[in-house]
Amino acid sequence: MNDSVKRAAELVRSYDGRQLRVMEVCGTHTHENFRLGIRGMLPDRIRLISGPGCPVCVTPVGYIDQAMFLARERGCTVCTFGDLIRVPGTDGSLATARAEGAKVQMVYSPIDAEDYAGTHPDEQVVFLSVGFETTTPASCIAVRKARERGMTNFSLLTANKTMDNAYRALKGSADAFLYPGHVSTMTGTAIYRELLAEGVSGVVAGFTAPELVCALAVIVKMSEKGEPFFVNCYPRVVTDEGSPSARRIVSETMEPADSEWRGLGVIEGSGLKLRDEFSDFDARIKYDVPQIQGRANPGCRCGDVLQGKINPSDCPLFGRVCTPEHPVGACMVSSEGACSAFFKYDSSR
Amino acid sequence: MQQGYVTLAHGAGGRQSARLIHDVFRGYLDNPHFTEDDAAVMEVPAGRIAMSTDGFIVSPAEFPGGNVGKLSVCGTVNDLSCMGARPLYLTCSYVLEEGFSLETLDRIVAAMGKTAREVGVEVVAGDTKVAGKGQVDGCFITTAGVGRVLDGVAPAGDKAAPGDAVIVTGDIGRHGCAILLARNDFRIAADVTSDCAPLWEGVERLLTAVPDTHVIRDATRGGVGTVLYELCDESGVGIRLDQEDIPVDDAVAGVCGMLGLDPLYLACEGRMVVIVPQGEEDAALEALRSSENTAGATLIGRVTGTHPGKVVIHTAIGSEAILPEPTGELLPRIC
Repeated sequence: MNDSVKRAAELVRSYDGRQLRVMEVCGTHTHENFRLGIRGMLPDRIRLISGPGCPVCVTPVGYIDQAMFLARERGCTVCTFGDLIRVPGTDGSLATARAEGAKVQMVYSPIDAEDYAGTHPDEQVVFLSVGFETTTPASCIAVRKARERGMTNFSLLTANKTMDNAYRALKGSADAFLYPGHVSTMTGTAIYRELLAEGVSGVVAGFTAPELVCALAVIVKMSEKGEPFFVNCYPRVVTDEGSPSARRIVSETMEPADSEWRGLGVIEGSGLKLRDEFSDFDARIKYDVPQIQGRANPGCRCGDVLQGKINPSDCPLFGRVCTPEHPVGACMVSSEGACSAFFKYDSSR
Repeated sequence: MQQGYVTLAHGAGGRQSARLIHDVFRGYLDNPHFTEDDAAVMEVPAGRIAMSTDGFIVSPAEFPGGNVGKLSVCGTVNDLSCMGARPLYLTCSYVLEEGFSLETLDRIVAAMGKTAREVGVEVVAGDTKVAGKGQVDGCFITTAGVGRVLDGVAPAGDKAAPGDAVIVTGDIGRHGCAILLARNDFRIAADVTSDCAPLWEGVERLLTAVPDTHVIRDATRGGVGTVLYELCDESGVGIRLDQEDIPVDDAVAGVCGMLGLDPLYLACEGRMVVIVPQGEEDAALEALRSSENTAGATLIGRVTGTHPGKVVIHTAIGSEAILPEPTGELLPRIC
């Protein structure tokens, strides 16, 4: 551990300025701040708030219901990241549907789902395409590959989201954002400079202990000046221009759409859907999937957690009815979810 | 070397069974007590006897650093060693899937024989069954073992006391990581070899140097983290680890970083958690390090009375973090 990191840690630990609310946009930041003991070393005046940056968590109940509709009513094979399998819909989860005999297949990437469709030509395969700027390019590549191969049994149920309008929707809820490291490798930093011009402060942070501590120290130092700020504290990975090639694949395959976020409601232009030329690969069109207004458990406060309005432990279901073994809300299911992080690491529980 | 595939006839007790037993099993496992009769007959040494049994259903059956045959000896030998018992005799029971490659079986039994000879344990009796295609996956082995407990030692999980030193006998998580890579679900290429190894030699030297060793436990399923939580619970204590002292191979750390896994929760098959009284740690480390399979023994923390039931990690940046409690299997069928 070098001296500059020790000094940064000391700077953060001894902070006694005005109250600072720092939003961890990314779920992995929430987990790492717990796991590395960083949350525990913060003074009371620095409050970490968990934000909406877990793709599974922000996926609304109605989307799960649509996935279950495809599996149960249309007989599709639903390929999905593992986390989504246990997220409760209005009536059970994909795990329930699987137990009843529906085909639900866990995959690690959209490309794996496309491969699965290639080797199972007699099944109609739908990939649950959730995620932010980091995962969307792989969904787009999978669709383009499927089109090149002339496949007719592969499609996406899209719920892909983009972060820029979400930041704007949340701008009053924190004094500074801890911007997500991985998403920023794709987007670059132009968006943060735009937000800075709108008076929004933040730093891009990496995921190791030195990187997180230094990012927090920068927030502490910059806040003292009282001016909005932006600093890229993850320059070894995040460049100003991001990944133009990944963005091009996405913009050539998908286009902006309004999108519903659990807890935040519909945010204009915050989602992506397949362009018309790829409509054969759009599961909603292909299988005539109805709009479904999902109903979450009325006691579940994932929505408030995702906006940073409450801590997970303030939810009446947390740790009693809702646990990792029996999750009620999405934030307890996902390995990136704030509730799961609080449950795992918070000793005061 | 046998060629071809296991058929139902290999398990039916006729000529094919006899050939399999004679050519493969006797060929690799032979020893003065090996029997083709209904039971092996041995002298029982005076003193306390330890007995243990374990089933091995790892997928894939062969992996970098070992196979299910080697694993099935190490598992039971290490279980006996944890009680301070010198492993003497093993039995083995094979359940083979119809269609399993005889060449692979040959390598598995060869590894079983080689590992047994290294430890000085005799495989005295065995059984072979063949199940129809699809009824089992490849080759399942159950071993049972008998050992003689050294005089004057009695390590047990409820003996950890505040101040005790917590030692691991080598870098952690390699077996779980090697299996995960061997399955290739994630298509990650990394050079990771399983830590699968018999540990009796190191344990014997440890117990000679530190007869009052409080706890020895092998960190198999659930890894070192799960064992530490078990010991906190059984002994009613807490444990404090120093993160920088926990030995993790670079490749294992890299794979864990990519997949969001904690090496503390990856299985080992040749690593033990050893807890010795305060002041005995240097003697324990020196004894363990003198044996090849425990040469990487490292002090990783202390038992404490201050936060019973919790494992706390002192991190490199000077903060304290709670090791989350184990929540179940990260990976099925690792051993």
